[in-house]
Amino acid sequence: MKKFIDESWLVLLMGICFAILLAFTQTSLQGRIDENRARALNDAIAQVVSDVETKEELTIDGNTVYKCLGADGNLVGWAVDASGTGFIDKIRVVVGLSPDGDTITGIKAIEHLETPGLGNKIDTGYPFPEQFTGKNATTQFEVVKHPPSRDNDIQAITGATYSSAYVTDIVNDVITRIRPRLAEHR
Amino acid sequence: MADENGSNLRQFKEGVLSNNPVLVQLLGMCPVLAVTNSVENALVMGMAATFVVVMSNLITSALRHHIKPHVRILIFTLTIATFVTIADLTLKAYMYQVSKQLGAFVPLIIVNCMIICRAEVVAIKNGVGRSLADAFGIGIGFTLALLILGVVREWLGSGTLTIPGLEPFHVMPAAFTENGHNWVIMILPPGAFLTLGVVVAISNQIRARHAKGGAA
Repeated sequence: MKKFIDESWLVLLMGICFAILLAFTQTSLQGRIDENRARALNDAIAQVVSDVETKEELTIDGNTVYKCLGADGNLVGWAVDASGTGFIDKIRVVVGLSPDGDTITGIKAIEHLETPGLGNKIDTGYPFPEQFTGKNATTQFEVVKHPPSRDNDIQAITGATYSSAYVTDIVNDVITRIRPRLAEHR
Repeated sequence: MADENGSNLRQFKEGVLSNNPVLVQLLGMCPVLAVTNSVENALVMGMAATFVVVMSNLITSALRHHIKPHVRILIFTLTIATFVTIADLTLKAYMYQVSKQLGAFVPLIIVNCMIICRAEVVAIKNGVGRSLADAFGIGIGFTLALLILGVVREWLGSGTLTIPGLEPFHVMPAAFTENGHNWVIMILPPGAFLTLGVVVAISNQIRARHAKGGAA
Protein backbone atom coordinates (compact mmCIF):
# COMPACT_ATOMS: atom_id res chain seq x y z
CA MET A 1 0.00 0.00 0.00
CA LYS A 2 2.76 2.40 0.96
CA LYS A 3 4.60 1.60 -2.25
CA PHE A 4 1.44 2.23 -4.21
CA ILE A 5 0.98 5.67 -2.60
CA ASP A 6 4.68 6.48 -3.06
CA GLU A 7 4.51 5.80 -6.75
CA SER A 8 1.20 7.35 -7.55
CA TRP A 9 0.48 10.22 -5.15
CA LEU A 10 1.33 12.80 -7.79
CA VAL A 11 -0.99 11.28 -10.39
CA LEU A 12 -3.82 11.10 -7.85
CA LEU A 13 -3.22 14.66 -6.67
CA MET A 14 -3.01 16.03 -10.20
CA GLY A 15 -6.15 14.13 -11.15
CA ILE A 16 -8.06 15.80 -8.32
CA CYS A 17 -6.60 19.28 -9.00
CA PHE A 18 -7.31 19.06 -12.73
CA ALA A 19 -10.82 17.79 -12.08
CA ILE A 20 -11.49 20.84 -9.89
CA LEU A 21 -9.95 23.13 -12.51
CA LEU A 22 -12.08 21.61 -15.26
CA ALA A 23 -15.23 21.74 -13.16
CA PHE A 24 -14.56 25.42 -12.50
CA THR A 25 -13.94 26.18 -16.20
CA GLN A 26 -17.00 24.22 -17.23
CA THR A 27 -19.32 25.99 -14.79
CA SER A 28 -17.99 29.45 -15.62
CA LEU A 29 -18.18 28.99 -19.39
CA GLN A 30 -21.23 26.75 -19.80
CA GLY A 31 -23.63 29.69 -19.64
CA ARG A 32 -21.94 31.42 -22.53
CA ILE A 33 -21.71 28.21 -24.54
CA ASP A 34 -25.44 27.56 -24.06
CA GLU A 35 -26.15 31.16 -25.08
CA ASN A 36 -24.09 30.69 -28.24
CA ARG A 37 -25.99 27.50 -29.00
CA ALA A 38 -29.36 29.17 -28.42
CA ARG A 39 -28.34 32.12 -30.59
CA ALA A 40 -27.17 29.77 -33.35
CA LEU A 41 -30.56 28.02 -33.21
CA ASN A 42 -32.50 31.31 -33.30
CA ASP A 43 -30.38 32.63 -36.18
CA ALA A 44 -30.90 29.39 -38.05
CA ILE A 45 -34.68 29.56 -37.57
CA ALA A 46 -34.70 33.18 -38.78
CA GLN A 47 -32.74 32.05 -41.80
CA VAL A 48 -35.02 29.18 -42.83
CA VAL A 49 -38.37 30.81 -42.03
CA SER A 50 -38.83 34.50 -42.80
CA ASP A 51 -40.62 37.15 -40.67
CA VAL A 52 -40.69 35.14 -37.43
CA GLU A 53 -41.90 37.16 -34.45
CA THR A 54 -42.73 34.51 -31.89
CA LYS A 55 -42.17 30.79 -31.68
CA GLU A 56 -44.15 28.00 -30.07
CA GLU A 57 -42.14 24.96 -29.11
CA LEU A 58 -43.78 21.62 -29.89
CA THR A 59 -42.60 18.04 -29.71
CA ILE A 60 -43.55 15.84 -32.63
CA ASP A 61 -42.37 12.22 -32.62
CA GLY A 62 -39.37 13.07 -30.45
CA ASN A 63 -38.25 16.08 -32.51
CA THR A 64 -38.52 19.67 -31.36
CA VAL A 65 -40.59 21.65 -33.85
CA TYR A 66 -40.92 25.42 -33.72
CA LYS A 67 -44.26 26.75 -34.89
CA CYS A 68 -43.30 30.18 -36.20
CA LEU A 69 -45.79 33.01 -35.91
CA GLY A 70 -45.57 36.39 -37.63
CA ALA A 71 -46.19 39.89 -36.27
CA ASP A 72 -50.02 39.55 -36.29
CA GLY A 73 -50.01 36.01 -34.90
CA ASN A 74 -50.50 34.26 -38.23
CA LEU A 75 -48.59 31.09 -39.04
CA VAL A 76 -45.52 31.88 -41.17
CA GLY A 77 -43.86 28.49 -41.19
CA TRP A 78 -42.36 25.60 -39.28
CA ALA A 79 -38.78 25.01 -38.21
CA VAL A 80 -37.91 21.41 -37.44
CA ASP A 81 -34.88 20.73 -35.27
CA ALA A 82 -33.66 17.44 -36.75
CA SER A 83 -30.49 15.43 -36.40
CA GLY A 84 -29.04 12.28 -37.84
CA THR A 85 -25.86 10.42 -38.64
CA GLY A 86 -22.98 12.40 -40.10
CA PHE A 87 -19.58 11.46 -41.46
CA ILE A 88 -17.79 12.00 -38.13
CA ASP A 89 -20.45 12.86 -35.57
CA LYS A 90 -24.17 13.64 -35.57
CA ILE A 91 -25.36 16.45 -37.84
CA ARG A 92 -28.05 18.78 -36.51
CA VAL A 93 -30.08 20.57 -39.17
CA VAL A 94 -32.92 23.08 -38.88
CA VAL A 95 -35.39 22.45 -41.68
CA GLY A 96 -37.81 25.24 -42.56
CA LEU A 97 -41.23 24.35 -43.99
CA SER A 98 -43.95 26.61 -45.40
CA PRO A 99 -47.19 27.00 -43.35
CA ASP A 100 -48.94 24.29 -45.39
CA GLY A 101 -45.85 22.08 -45.02
CA ASP A 102 -45.59 21.52 -48.77
CA THR A 103 -42.45 23.53 -49.50
CA ILE A 104 -38.96 23.57 -47.98
CA THR A 105 -38.21 27.20 -47.13
CA GLY A 106 -34.58 26.57 -46.26
CA ILE A 107 -32.21 24.32 -44.34
CA LYS A 108 -29.35 25.21 -42.03
CA ALA A 109 -26.85 22.80 -40.47
CA ILE A 110 -26.13 24.16 -37.01
CA GLU A 111 -24.04 21.45 -35.38
CA HIS A 112 -21.69 19.06 -37.11
CA LEU A 113 -18.10 17.89 -37.08
CA GLU A 114 -17.73 17.34 -40.82
CA THR A 115 -14.24 17.69 -42.32
CA PRO A 116 -13.15 21.34 -42.59
CA GLY A 117 -12.86 22.35 -46.23
CA LEU A 118 -14.99 19.47 -47.49
CA GLY A 119 -17.93 18.26 -45.45
CA ASN A 120 -18.38 21.55 -43.61
CA LYS A 121 -19.75 23.00 -46.85
CA ILE A 122 -23.11 21.50 -45.83
CA ASP A 123 -23.21 24.57 -43.62
CA THR A 124 -21.18 27.28 -45.37
CA GLY A 125 -20.69 26.21 -48.96
CA TYR A 126 -22.90 27.95 -51.44
CA PRO A 127 -24.82 26.46 -53.22
CA PHE A 128 -25.36 23.19 -51.34
CA PRO A 129 -27.86 24.21 -48.63
CA GLU A 130 -29.56 26.69 -50.98
CA GLN A 131 -30.54 23.85 -53.31
CA PHE A 132 -33.26 22.75 -50.91
CA THR A 133 -34.91 26.17 -50.71
CA GLY A 134 -38.24 26.35 -52.51
CA LYS A 135 -38.30 22.64 -53.33
CA ASN A 136 -41.45 20.55 -53.09
CA ALA A 137 -41.52 18.82 -49.70
CA THR A 138 -44.05 16.16 -50.65
CA THR A 139 -41.51 13.92 -52.39
CA GLN A 140 -38.17 12.55 -51.30
CA PHE A 141 -34.88 14.17 -52.31
CA GLU A 142 -32.18 12.24 -54.09
CA VAL A 143 -28.45 12.99 -54.11
CA VAL A 144 -26.81 13.01 -57.54
CA LYS A 145 -23.20 13.61 -58.59
CA HIS A 146 -24.03 15.63 -61.71
CA PRO A 147 -25.99 18.85 -62.28
CA PRO A 148 -29.56 18.08 -61.22
CA SER A 149 -31.94 17.06 -64.01
CA ARG A 150 -35.08 16.29 -61.98
CA ASP A 151 -36.94 18.57 -59.60
CA ASN A 152 -35.92 16.95 -56.36
CA ASP A 153 -32.32 16.12 -57.26
CA ILE A 154 -29.68 17.55 -54.94
CA GLN A 155 -26.18 17.90 -56.33
CA ALA A 156 -23.59 16.56 -53.88
CA ILE A 157 -20.67 18.71 -52.72
CA THR A 158 -17.48 17.75 -54.56
CA GLY A 159 -15.38 15.67 -52.20
CA ALA A 160 -18.18 15.34 -49.67
CA THR A 161 -20.75 12.99 -51.18
CA TYR A 162 -21.34 11.26 -47.85
CA SER A 163 -21.90 14.50 -45.93
CA SER A 164 -24.32 15.65 -48.66
CA ALA A 165 -26.18 12.34 -48.50
CA TYR A 166 -26.42 12.44 -44.70
CA VAL A 167 -27.96 15.92 -44.77
CA THR A 168 -30.39 14.83 -47.48
CA ASP A 169 -31.32 11.78 -45.37
CA ILE A 170 -32.14 14.07 -42.46
CA VAL A 171 -34.36 16.26 -44.66
CA ASN A 172 -36.07 13.17 -46.12
CA ASP A 173 -36.69 11.87 -42.60
CA VAL A 174 -38.35 15.17 -41.67
CA ILE A 175 -40.52 14.94 -44.79
CA THR A 176 -41.73 11.40 -44.08
CA ARG A 177 -41.94 11.44 -40.29
CA ILE A 178 -42.71 15.00 -39.17
CA ARG A 179 -44.34 16.76 -42.12
CA PRO A 180 -47.60 14.71 -42.21
CA ARG A 181 -48.17 15.45 -38.52
CA LEU A 182 -47.81 19.22 -38.75
CA ALA A 183 -51.50 19.53 -39.69
CA GLU A 184 -52.51 18.35 -36.17
CA HIS A 185 -50.88 21.43 -34.68
CA ARG A 186 -51.91 24.04 -37.26
CA MET B 1 23.95 30.03 -14.90
CA ALA B 2 25.59 33.19 -16.28
CA ASP B 3 24.21 32.68 -19.76
CA GLU B 4 20.75 31.54 -18.57
CA ASN B 5 19.04 34.39 -20.41
CA GLY B 6 21.13 33.84 -23.53
CA SER B 7 20.30 30.16 -23.62
CA ASN B 8 16.59 30.85 -23.02
CA LEU B 9 16.58 33.19 -25.98
CA ARG B 10 18.42 30.63 -28.06
CA GLN B 11 15.94 27.95 -27.01
CA PHE B 12 13.09 30.23 -28.08
CA LYS B 13 14.67 31.04 -31.45
CA GLU B 14 15.44 27.38 -32.11
CA GLY B 15 11.77 26.52 -31.67
CA VAL B 16 10.70 29.20 -34.14
CA LEU B 17 13.41 28.69 -36.78
CA SER B 18 16.06 25.97 -36.81
CA ASN B 19 13.98 23.46 -34.84
CA ASN B 20 10.55 24.46 -36.11
CA PRO B 21 8.09 21.68 -35.16
CA VAL B 22 6.37 21.66 -38.56
CA LEU B 23 9.05 22.59 -41.07
CA VAL B 24 12.01 20.80 -39.48
CA GLN B 25 10.76 18.17 -37.03
CA LEU B 26 7.63 17.36 -39.07
CA LEU B 27 5.67 16.77 -35.87
CA GLY B 28 1.96 17.31 -35.29
CA MET B 29 1.07 16.92 -38.95
CA CYS B 30 -2.61 16.14 -38.35
CA PRO B 31 -3.77 19.72 -37.61
CA VAL B 32 -1.16 21.11 -40.02
CA LEU B 33 -2.73 19.26 -42.91
CA ALA B 34 -6.32 19.36 -41.75
CA VAL B 35 -7.14 22.89 -40.64
CA THR B 36 -4.86 25.15 -42.67
CA ASN B 37 -7.51 25.73 -45.35
CA SER B 38 -8.10 29.24 -44.03
CA VAL B 39 -5.95 31.79 -42.22
CA GLU B 40 -8.48 32.07 -39.41
CA ASN B 41 -8.53 28.33 -38.71
CA ALA B 42 -4.73 28.16 -38.88
CA LEU B 43 -4.28 31.07 -36.49
CA VAL B 44 -6.78 29.82 -33.91
CA MET B 45 -5.39 26.27 -34.07
CA GLY B 46 -1.86 27.67 -33.65
CA MET B 47 -2.86 29.72 -30.63
CA ALA B 48 -4.72 26.85 -29.00
CA ALA B 49 -1.72 24.54 -29.47
CA THR B 50 0.63 27.24 -28.13
CA PHE B 51 -1.50 27.61 -25.00
CA VAL B 52 -1.46 23.85 -24.43
CA VAL B 53 2.28 23.41 -24.99
CA VAL B 54 3.06 26.36 -22.68
CA MET B 55 0.85 25.03 -19.87
CA SER B 56 2.07 21.47 -20.31
CA ASN B 57 5.74 22.52 -20.24
CA LEU B 58 5.13 24.80 -17.25
CA ILE B 59 3.48 22.11 -15.15
CA THR B 60 5.83 19.33 -16.20
CA SER B 61 8.97 21.36 -15.47
CA ALA B 62 7.63 22.67 -12.15
CA LEU B 63 6.89 19.11 -10.99
CA ARG B 64 9.86 17.43 -12.68
CA HIS B 65 11.58 16.37 -9.42
CA HIS B 66 8.46 14.57 -8.23
CA ILE B 67 7.51 12.78 -11.42
CA LYS B 68 8.32 9.06 -11.27
CA PRO B 69 9.86 8.00 -14.59
CA HIS B 70 7.41 5.17 -15.28
CA VAL B 71 4.29 7.30 -14.79
CA ARG B 72 5.61 10.32 -16.68
CA ILE B 73 3.67 9.64 -19.90
CA LEU B 74 0.50 9.32 -17.83
CA ILE B 75 1.18 12.70 -16.22
CA PHE B 76 1.96 14.36 -19.57
CA THR B 77 -1.26 13.05 -21.07
CA LEU B 78 -3.29 14.06 -18.02
CA THR B 79 -1.88 17.61 -18.13
CA ILE B 80 -2.29 17.98 -21.90
CA ALA B 81 -5.84 16.61 -21.88
CA THR B 82 -6.85 19.03 -19.13
CA PHE B 83 -5.57 22.11 -20.94
CA VAL B 84 -6.91 20.99 -24.30
CA THR B 85 -10.35 20.69 -22.70
CA ILE B 86 -9.99 24.20 -21.25
CA ALA B 87 -8.91 25.55 -24.67
CA ASP B 88 -11.84 23.78 -26.33
CA LEU B 89 -14.39 25.17 -23.85
CA THR B 90 -12.91 28.68 -24.15
CA LEU B 91 -13.13 28.59 -27.94
CA LYS B 92 -16.73 27.36 -27.74
CA ALA B 93 -17.59 30.21 -25.39
CA TYR B 94 -15.78 33.08 -27.10
CA MET B 95 -15.16 32.02 -30.72
CA TYR B 96 -18.18 29.85 -31.45
CA GLN B 97 -18.05 30.01 -35.26
CA VAL B 98 -14.36 29.13 -35.48
CA SER B 99 -14.69 26.36 -32.93
CA LYS B 100 -17.48 24.88 -35.04
CA GLN B 101 -15.24 24.98 -38.11
CA LEU B 102 -12.30 23.39 -36.31
CA GLY B 103 -14.65 20.68 -35.07
CA ALA B 104 -12.85 17.62 -33.74
CA PHE B 105 -9.39 19.04 -34.39
CA VAL B 106 -9.25 21.06 -31.16
CA PRO B 107 -9.88 18.03 -28.92
CA LEU B 108 -7.38 16.18 -31.14
CA ILE B 109 -4.58 18.48 -29.91
CA ILE B 110 -4.40 15.94 -27.06
CA VAL B 111 -2.70 13.48 -29.41
CA ASN B 112 -0.47 16.09 -31.07
CA CYS B 113 2.96 14.49 -30.68
CA MET B 114 4.68 17.90 -30.84
CA ILE B 115 3.36 18.71 -27.36
CA ILE B 116 4.22 15.45 -25.63
CA CYS B 117 7.62 15.61 -27.35
CA ARG B 118 8.39 18.97 -25.69
CA ALA B 119 7.44 17.59 -22.28
CA GLU B 120 9.65 14.53 -22.76
CA VAL B 121 12.63 16.24 -24.40
CA VAL B 122 12.77 19.57 -22.58
CA ALA B 123 10.36 20.15 -19.71
CA ILE B 124 11.15 17.03 -17.66
CA LYS B 125 14.89 17.84 -17.68
CA ASN B 126 15.01 21.64 -17.48
CA GLY B 127 13.91 24.48 -15.26
CA VAL B 128 10.70 26.43 -15.60
CA GLY B 129 12.30 29.40 -17.42
CA ARG B 130 13.96 27.34 -20.09
CA SER B 131 10.90 25.11 -20.54
CA LEU B 132 8.68 28.16 -21.00
CA ALA B 133 11.09 29.71 -23.50
CA ASP B 134 11.05 26.44 -25.39
CA ALA B 135 7.24 26.17 -25.27
CA PHE B 136 6.74 29.71 -26.56
CA GLY B 137 9.31 29.13 -29.31
CA ILE B 138 7.73 25.87 -30.40
CA GLY B 139 4.21 27.28 -30.13
CA ILE B 140 5.01 30.39 -32.16
CA GLY B 141 7.00 28.35 -34.67
CA PHE B 142 4.00 26.02 -35.05
CA THR B 143 1.61 28.96 -35.45
CA LEU B 144 3.84 30.64 -38.06
CA ALA B 145 4.14 27.45 -40.09
CA LEU B 146 0.35 26.97 -39.98
CA LEU B 147 -0.14 30.58 -41.02
CA ILE B 148 2.16 30.21 -44.03
CA LEU B 149 0.16 27.19 -45.17
CA GLY B 150 -3.14 28.91 -44.36
CA VAL B 151 -2.28 32.04 -46.37
CA VAL B 152 -1.13 30.09 -49.44
CA ARG B 153 -4.02 27.64 -49.38
CA GLU B 154 -6.78 30.16 -48.75
CA TRP B 155 -5.33 32.66 -51.24
CA LEU B 156 -5.17 30.13 -54.07
CA GLY B 157 -8.16 28.05 -53.01
CA SER B 158 -10.77 30.64 -52.08
CA GLY B 159 -9.19 33.94 -53.16
CA THR B 160 -9.70 35.39 -49.68
CA LEU B 161 -7.86 35.85 -46.41
CA THR B 162 -9.98 35.62 -43.27
CA ILE B 163 -8.73 37.35 -40.15
CA PRO B 164 -10.64 36.51 -36.96
CA GLY B 165 -13.27 39.12 -36.12
CA LEU B 166 -13.20 40.78 -39.55
CA GLU B 167 -15.00 40.20 -42.83
CA PRO B 168 -13.02 37.95 -45.21
CA PHE B 169 -10.54 40.06 -47.13
CA HIS B 170 -10.72 39.46 -50.89
CA VAL B 171 -7.20 39.33 -52.27
CA MET B 172 -8.21 38.09 -55.70
CA PRO B 173 -10.67 39.78 -58.09
CA ALA B 174 -14.24 38.49 -57.88
CA ALA B 175 -13.88 36.83 -61.30
CA PHE B 176 -11.30 34.46 -59.75
CA THR B 177 -13.90 32.49 -57.81
CA GLU B 178 -17.00 33.33 -59.86
CA ASN B 179 -15.51 31.94 -63.06
CA GLY B 180 -14.13 28.93 -61.22
CA HIS B 181 -10.45 29.78 -61.64
CA ASN B 182 -9.80 29.18 -57.94
CA TRP B 183 -7.68 26.11 -57.20
CA VAL B 184 -10.25 24.05 -55.31
CA ILE B 185 -7.56 21.41 -54.77
CA MET B 186 -5.77 23.83 -52.43
CA ILE B 187 -8.59 23.74 -49.87
CA LEU B 188 -8.86 19.98 -50.21
CA PRO B 189 -6.42 17.65 -48.41
CA PRO B 190 -4.06 17.22 -51.42
CA GLY B 191 -3.49 20.99 -51.37
CA ALA B 192 -2.17 20.68 -47.82
CA PHE B 193 0.36 18.03 -48.85
CA LEU B 194 1.46 19.96 -51.94
CA THR B 195 1.87 23.24 -50.05
CA LEU B 196 3.63 21.57 -47.13
CA GLY B 197 6.07 19.86 -49.52
CA VAL B 198 6.94 23.10 -51.25
CA VAL B 199 7.26 25.06 -48.00
CA VAL B 200 9.46 22.38 -46.40
CA ALA B 201 11.63 22.30 -49.54
CA ILE B 202 12.10 26.07 -49.42
CA SER B 203 12.87 26.01 -45.71
CA ASN B 204 15.42 23.20 -46.22
CA GLN B 205 17.08 25.21 -49.00
CA ILE B 206 17.33 28.26 -46.76
CA ARG B 207 18.75 26.22 -43.89
CA ALA B 208 21.27 24.54 -46.18
CA ARG B 209 22.47 27.95 -47.39
CA HIS B 210 22.77 29.14 -43.79
CA ALA B 211 24.75 26.08 -42.77
CA LYS B 212 27.17 26.61 -45.68
CA GLY B 213 27.53 30.31 -44.90
CA GLY B 214 28.24 29.52 -41.24
CA ALA B 215 30.96 26.98 -42.10
CA ALA B 216 32.79 29.28 -44.52
